Amino acid sequence: MPTTHPDYRHLIACNECDLLLHRPVIRISQTARCPRCQSVLISARANSIERSLALACAGLILILPANLYPLLTLELLGQSRSETIFSSAMALFQDGLWGVSLLVLLFTILVPICKLCLLFWVSLGLQMRWSLPGLSFALRSYLHLDEWGMLEVYLVGVLVSVVKLAAMASLEPGPGLFCLAALILVTTLSSSMLDKDLFWARIEALQEPDQDGR
Amino acid sequence: MGVKTGISAAKQQLISCHDCHALWPVEEAPGHCARCGSRLHLRKPAAMTRTWALLLTSAFLLLPANLLPIMQITSLGRGEPATIIGGILELTQHGLYGIAFIVFLASLLIPIGKLCGLLIMLFTLQMGWTTNMQQKMLMFRMVHWIGRWSMLDIFVVAVLVSLVQMGNLAQISGQQGTTAFAGVVICTMLAANTFDTRLIWDRYPDESS
Ligand SMILES: [Zn+2]
Ligand SMILES: [Zn+2]
Repeated sequence: MPTTHPDYRHLIACNECDLLLHRPVIRISQTARCPRCQSVLISARANSIERSLALACAGLILILPANLYPLLTLELLGQSRSETIFSSAMALFQDGLWGVSLLVLLFTILVPICKLCLLFWVSLGLQMRWSLPGLSFALRSYLHLDEWGMLEVYLVGVLVSVVKLAAMASLEPGPGLFCLAALILVTTLSSSMLDKDLFWARIEALQEPDQDGR
Repeated sequence: MGVKTGISAAKQQLISCHDCHALWPVEEAPGHCARCGSRLHLRKPAAMTRTWALLLTSAFLLLPANLLPIMQITSLGRGEPATIIGGILELTQHGLYGIAFIVFLASLLIPIGKLCGLLIMLFTLQMGWTTNMQQKMLMFRMVHWIGRWSMLDIFVVAVLVSLVQMGNLAQISGQQGTTAFAGVVICTMLAANTFDTRLIWDRYPDESS
């Protein structure tokens, strides 16, 4: 038995207004929008699976130095102090703001790491045509976590802090800052390269044979 | 199969999965999507109640978020608390208008704009205002997309607190205002997630009929 209902495979319902439509046929890099509410129905991307796999690997490599090397070093009258993403979350914890510190930890370290791991798992399974366990759960979690990863907001936060502190002390960018910028480029590209519809269709195709076997 | 395009899927006894958008006959409803495993329901459960609850919570939190200090700046032994608005004013006093505007946008305009945008959507749904729907949908998408940027001020405090630890010379510590402010951001983001725009379109007159 196929996983989606065969009677309705040629149809698509708009995600935001529930309008039932014939599934549009589109070419690479085209986007189909709902005629009633203009929300995106499907958007085809070239080599989406391959590129997602490559970007997930790049991200997993970059996320290490982005977290381990200092982002900024402040020097004031012979004293110097560096910060990483983790140390900034810990500084809030030491001031008794454990809730906020947990959120910073989540949005800037845990969620980005989870997103990259999940994307790696899904795109590896689809690229190699391996029916890895939990593919659909991983893609679903990735899509739900997407908006909670806030690396780019954090980077702008670092830049605002630089401007605020520039008058009183001298600041040095650390190697972590460049890795963070590269990581943001990778994660932004990976979300724009992701063709959700294709991913779901390929996951479905992988699931079919083992549904027959059961 | 008797299914017509151009009218809503729900009116033809079809459920579209919230996560993978596969279509299912409505009889599958209290179960899970066979493709992605997500729970199937016609519309997000208790969407309006949840959105209202989260919206009111964030509106209440907006007060302490702006009145309580978000950090304490101590330099040469003299300490003073800083609020969000105070921080913006200080930036303008130093002539840093660009940065002041970014912080103003992220910490005041976006949270308040989000609240107003969600209120408009809720009233649209409750009063059945179905005019200017395309503009309202565009606004809702903006509200959804921009929400995360309000965390900016929290991250600025985190960076400042971890960098400026020079004892009596200069010291910045985080204050409880940040907790309230983070609460505002989280609640408005969740409110946008629990709202279901399809509920509004259910009341929209069908063009075909
Ligand atoms: Zn639509
Ligand atoms: Zn599904």
